[in-house]
Amino acid sequence: MELNNSKIKIKAKNLNVYYGKKQALFDINLDINQKEVTALIGPSGCGKSTFIRCINRMNDVIDICKVEGSVEIDGAEINEKNVDVVTLREKVGMVFQKPNPFPKSIYDNIAYGPIIHGAAENKDQMDKIVETSLKKAALWDEVKDRLNEPGTSLSGGQQQRLCIARALSVNPEVILMDEPCSALDPIATAKIEELIDDLKKSYTIVIVTHSMAQAVRVSQKTGFFHLGKIIEVDSTDKIFKNPANKMTQDYITGRFG
Amino acid sequence: MSGTGHTVKSYEEEMQSLNDNLVMMGSLTENQMADAMAAVIKVDKESVDKIVKNDGKINELRSTIDNQITTVLVKRAPMAVDLRITISTMKISHDLERIGDLAKSVAKKVKPLPVDLPDELIGSLRRLGDLVQKQLKDALDAYLNRSKDKAIEIWKKDEQVDDLTNLAMNEVATYLQKDKKNLEMATHLLFVTKNIERAGDHITNIAESLYYLIEGEYLEGARPKGKPIES
Repeated sequence: MELNNSKIKIKAKNLNVYYGKKQALFDINLDINQKEVTALIGPSGCGKSTFIRCINRMNDVIDICKVEGSVEIDGAEINEKNVDVVTLREKVGMVFQKPNPFPKSIYDNIAYGPIIHGAAENKDQMDKIVETSLKKAALWDEVKDRLNEPGTSLSGGQQQRLCIARALSVNPEVILMDEPCSALDPIATAKIEELIDDLKKSYTIVIVTHSMAQAVRVSQKTGFFHLGKIIEVDSTDKIFKNPANKMTQDYITGRFG
Repeated sequence: MSGTGHTVKSYEEEMQSLNDNLVMMGSLTENQMADAMAAVIKVDKESVDKIVKNDGKINELRSTIDNQITTVLVKRAPMAVDLRITISTMKISHDLERIGDLAKSVAKKVKPLPVDLPDELIGSLRRLGDLVQKQLKDALDAYLNRSKDKAIEIWKKDEQVDDLTNLAMNEVATYLQKDKKNLEMATHLLFVTKNIERAGDHITNIAESLYYLIEGEYLEGARPKGKPIES
């Protein structure tokens, strides 16, 4: 399937992560394909969120966190000292479990990133960025007449799409999603999943999810994490119909613990 | 089912009940096939009504299994081996139901048959019937033991069913050639033969479903076919 023909966008090699003395990830080797959705599943505390936070160096902000090993994006090591994390996070956007719009207007939520990165020279250009980002996040039609209202006035699902629009405003190449639908109702979830389907044409997406059904619906490749290790990675089809590893099978069929 | 049970006990119980009902259905179908063949061989017209009536129990079980499967799909969204068990159980139950229907059709043909069927015709039907019954028993055993090798063996053995079918049909045709007055009897016997052969085809379907359940892959390639016999 796509697995063999796709270009690798992100390559984790022998990745080990420690929080103080506690090791959270053990020798992770994982290839993430370009313009595909990769789902990461596994029980709470298995390291999947820690792993995606390695892709945009979000773990840097945790003092006791130590990262060893390699993460390459397009063949370039991101853990080198001279890598500018602001530029890295421009390239690798992130969406969290709970929608977290800034306490600002809908417009300013989107404009915030491009202002920091100096992406627009004038108001017209900024208007364009805001409109394009909201359109890409399938939110424009719902908010175009209320851009000056607070982002927090939107519904949960709209707020999450606002956060996705915010991530898209700085032209990322990779979008990390950490349980983006766990706080949303089924209709808002369906809209996000529809959006993910659309976004994968232009972006590489890594999604952490506790919903197996969601992993099956949105992803092409799935990795199963357990106790900080990668147990199995394969095409999503294979993982959910006929996994090779018994632990994977026990987890996805609800035979764990 | 896999070594460890589901964390949710009621899920485990639902899958167990599905399994139990399929095994029960298999056993009833096996009995029906045996009774229908015995009725033909002995031209036992009295047993026919009972066989026809018993088919209802198999149909009822199939409906029960269909309902259980719908519930499991909605409630549990089964994955991996559970998904394969669910899908395969649905297919196997439908094949068993069809085998039950065919056994009933075989039995119904007994009523218009003459009581003094020629030995050579009975002989060839008995051989075919014995083989198909053996195939059904093996398929149900293979299901219980989750035996992939046995599933392949059954699948391949359908070639012999085809050969015995051709032989039996040939016998009937020869008999018909001897005397055109045998036409009505010969027609009934050709239907009986064909129905037994079709039951055999459903048994190979069961073997295929079982193989998929165990391996997560489909049996590849065309099933070997018996050669038609020149008459």
